[in-house]
Amino acid sequence: MSGRLLGQEASVLEAAGADVGALGEIESWARRAVVVPAGTPIVDAHVHLGVDRDGHMLSAPDLVADLDANAIDAAVAFPADEPGAGGDFRDANRRVIEAAAQYPDRIVPFCRLDPRCLPEAAMAEASDAGARGLKLHPVAQRFRPESDECIDVVRAATDLGWPVLFHAGFGARPLGPAFAGLIEAVPDCRIILAHGGRGDHRAVAAATAGHPGLLFDSSIASLPDLVSVAPERLAFGTDRPYGDYAQALHLVGTAARVAGWDTAAMGAVLAGNLLRWIGPVAP
Amino acid sequence: MSLLDALRVVGLASQAEMALVRRDAVAGALLAQAARAAEGTPAGPLLSEAARLERAEPGREAVRQAALSLCRMGLQEAQADALGHPAGGVP
Repeated sequence: MSGRLLGQEASVLEAAGADVGALGEIESWARRAVVVPAGTPIVDAHVHLGVDRDGHMLSAPDLVADLDANAIDAAVAFPADEPGAGGDFRDANRRVIEAAAQYPDRIVPFCRLDPRCLPEAAMAEASDAGARGLKLHPVAQRFRPESDECIDVVRAATDLGWPVLFHAGFGARPLGPAFAGLIEAVPDCRIILAHGGRGDHRAVAAATAGHPGLLFDSSIASLPDLVSVAPERLAFGTDRPYGDYAQALHLVGTAARVAGWDTAAMGAVLAGNLLRWIGPVAP
Repeated sequence: MSLLDALRVVGLASQAEMALVRRDAVAGALLAQAARAAEGTPAGPLLSEAARLERAEPGREAVRQAALSLCRMGLQEAQADALGHPAGGVP
């Protein structure tokens, strides 16, 4: 069997003994969890392109094939954890921006930085090349969101009009005081907390409740976290290649069922809230 | 499903999810337990297929990731059930 199932090569799963027919039925069922009028745009807020240090990988052509197969209009993409010899992500950022230039109506490029590693130069280069936002990973790059270095980077991104997407999933540190401190330092910042803030959702949701510039993305999030915030504070995401479209669509569809979102709310979660921040997909 | 039964599946599926993320060999056993606990519920077919896949070829990356996707969907269904919103149908 050709193509992909649950984000994996179907032929590989079949060779491993999977019942690909059953998996295909499950995948179709999962996609049907999202009930929206035809033509409602869907934009993925969270995709990694490249080859991560942990072995996960995704190429731009494979991403676009995934988008096509799942009726997803576009994706925000940024580098995997491949900072390069200089530690500044410049090569990885360049590759993502080139991928977006190849698929301008499907891929929105964000750059990725280490706030402690020549961030000004890397951000300027990415901005000049066409980046439209910033991804930061406090766990992988070992910094604190409320640190002076991170505040400086978020302030610079905000001055460029960029949203900043933070990893906010698995990790030991409390997130509430960290992001409250960041928002206090850069009040006009626009922050996307990945994974629904799963690492410390209750605290971070409470600490940021009054801040208008905050979205949670739904990638690999926890259902109780998603249904406990208003849909206008959510953005659909997958965390490809760590997550997949069937599971991600099933999650937001199930959240809609539990929380009672109407189709307008669902449309806002699937694309509207994010597009309000980044503008049209094709610049 | 009663709240007690739903919470049992949520607990088992959550443990299985983390074991799969960490590539821990205990994932297969935890998925099998979760699948048995979820029999007859919307989460059941998802967790059963995840357990079957992981048993078929543990350690293969594509299999692990597909099992993880199924496990997470099973967990999501069990959580929805615990929150009072069971699915109307099963996959």
